[in-house]
Amino acid sequence: MKALHVTGCYYFPNSSQHQYCTAQVNNEQVQLLNQNNDLIHSASTIDCILESPIPGVAAQLSFCNGGRFIPDDVDFRWPFGNKVYSISERLEKNKLLILLSVVVAPLLLWLILYRGIPAIAVYSVNVASPAVVESMGEQSLAVIEKIALEPTQLSIDQQADLQSKWAQMLTALELDNTKFRLSFYQSDYLAANAFALPHGRVVVTDELVTLLADKPDALRAILLHEIGHVEHHHGVRLSAQAVASTVVLAVIFGDLEGITEVVLGSGSSFLQQAFSRDMEREADNYAIEKLVKLGYSNHDFADAIEALQQSLEEQHAELEDNWLKYLSTHPSSQERIEHARQYKP
Amino acid sequence: MEPTIQTTPPSTDNILFKGKIQFNGKAGEFFGIWIVNIMLSILTLGIYSAWAKVRTYRYFYGNTHVDNHSFDYLATPMQILKGRILAVIVFIIYSLVVQFLPVIGLLFALGFLFLMPWIINQGLRFNMRMTRHRNVRFAFSGNYGDALINFVLLPIASVFTLYLLMPYALKRIDQYIHENISYGGKPLSVNLKGETYYMAALITIGVTFAGLIGFAIFAGIAGVAMSFNGLDTNSLNFSTLLFPVLMAVMYIGMLTLVSGIYQSIIRNHILNSSEFEDIASFKSDLKPAAYGFLLFTNAVAIIFTLGLAYPWTKIRKAHLLAAATEVTIYTGALTLMDTVQEQQSSFAEEAANVFDIDISLT
Repeated sequence: MKALHVTGCYYFPNSSQHQYCTAQVNNEQVQLLNQNNDLIHSASTIDCILESPIPGVAAQLSFCNGGRFIPDDVDFRWPFGNKVYSISERLEKNKLLILLSVVVAPLLLWLILYRGIPAIAVYSVNVASPAVVESMGEQSLAVIEKIALEPTQLSIDQQADLQSKWAQMLTALELDNTKFRLSFYQSDYLAANAFALPHGRVVVTDELVTLLADKPDALRAILLHEIGHVEHHHGVRLSAQAVASTVVLAVIFGDLEGITEVVLGSGSSFLQQAFSRDMEREADNYAIEKLVKLGYSNHDFADAIEALQQSLEEQHAELEDNWLKYLSTHPSSQERIEHARQYKP
Repeated sequence: MEPTIQTTPPSTDNILFKGKIQFNGKAGEFFGIWIVNIMLSILTLGIYSAWAKVRTYRYFYGNTHVDNHSFDYLATPMQILKGRILAVIVFIIYSLVVQFLPVIGLLFALGFLFLMPWIINQGLRFNMRMTRHRNVRFAFSGNYGDALINFVLLPIASVFTLYLLMPYALKRIDQYIHENISYGGKPLSVNLKGETYYMAALITIGVTFAGLIGFAIFAGIAGVAMSFNGLDTNSLNFSTLLFPVLMAVMYIGMLTLVSGIYQSIIRNHILNSSEFEDIASFKSDLKPAAYGFLLFTNAVAIIFTLGLAYPWTKIRKAHLLAAATEVTIYTGALTLMDTVQEQQSSFAEEAANVFDIDISLT
């Protein structure tokens, strides 16, 4: 075997002292020699400890006594190194793999965040007890009430009428009327809107009631959509997904400094919205199915969306069907309307 | 540390070395390491991320040289993995409680407040012990009581003083972190000044206000320009799309500029007032504008490449920070012994080693 010479620096055990020297590898023996060819240290290659090499980092040789030799040449690799150890480095230097990773890693990440986690989050529903979900819902409502809701301005009669229709619908669907509760609030912020809380409370704004005053069937369709969210446990799933996504991103990206503020911030809100897009579809389907089951028309749902769409367009320029479509929480209205109209039981 | 007045500046003949920190990392090289490690982390469901962290640290430490000697990161992937598993478990429990039961979550948060000083100490201790230059390791010797005062009590107190105490609290935190660092048994002597922290805070606030005014003027002008264009539904032209993008860029610009200014003032101050007596002293000359600009361009690059520029931004930042830092090494550095090794054999250390992990997700 040809003798191998490499220059570098020897660090004495547990000390700040060092000496520039040459390492010679000969017959499974490493010898460190100074300029005068005096022996500083020698060891059998078997007793030397090598770390897994990293591109651009000198391969240091550690001896049992605690001393180390670091070659000057960062690209130098010891001939007796463990082949398994160098796999990582070979992968990290492989141009093809790097290129492949640039394409595949985001794809896999997308699969995990948008497919894997939502699929697993479904099981979180079984873990959360009804009492937990109840308090989660009421506490969320308390927060939203503070931020965006005002007491309702609807007349007592109007409220009673809607409540009795709600009760009838629940009975027809064999749903628990202590779980599903309907509340009215006035809200400038939410405008004509409705939302469901995870424990079964459905909130409808005065603005929506007024908008659909002459379309009771459309209002029913929207209420069914909200019940759909509750029946599919969307709130609980969303929370579980948020937690899981944070963990996944933190672990995979490790050092979050810098990335946290900018990319993760927008990234996780993108995620949240995409979760809701799938969930909106699920709730749409629930509403359409139940409408048909109760003997109403699947077109009621399409009418409701159309009415909401119109009122939205009156308020401001519509961005939804453009490239900004992805930013919208709900699937594009046109898509939903067509879906509802084409429904076949 | 000692009350001697004769702080004669070290004569030039006991200076062994004086020069900038050298950083030799290359963006292209690190990109390969980074992306392949992310790929492997995903494929192993996150387990490889511990190896990835060690490799990243070893890349940065190994490429950072003072007086031609590189730093060395000693943690093993298994240590990192243990810490991460623990952190993930704690984080999941914590966030589930906060998400589902906000009220009980509050109690949890309170308990966490008292656990936090311990976790911070643990992390600092671990990271210092895992850092080596030549064959001598760093160490951290902070205790729970001081950590509780500096990381929990003072910041809470500062909230009740309308944040007037905040710069002082931040100064105390930095003082605590740095004065407990030692190298080869020699403590770092640090003498931070509250004035500098208050000055940094004032400058930061001033720049923020100036920025907000500029922001408002821009938004006003742009708003007027927009309304002239008319808001008919099919006017989704270039300028209406450009406006939010510009606003976002300005917002990021503000954030990064402000943090760049603050961080560079503080960094310069800490390094300029710290020294390992007879071993090393430091001089940091980080320019606030240059650093703010770097942070801004880094953030923009990360956003517009959807994260792919991240390795480049990290290397670039390390280059700038290294170039702004000068280290002077004195003859005392030649005779240092690694004291961490000896302490390790004592029983108390052994017991502490069971928890010798950095409990963190990152």
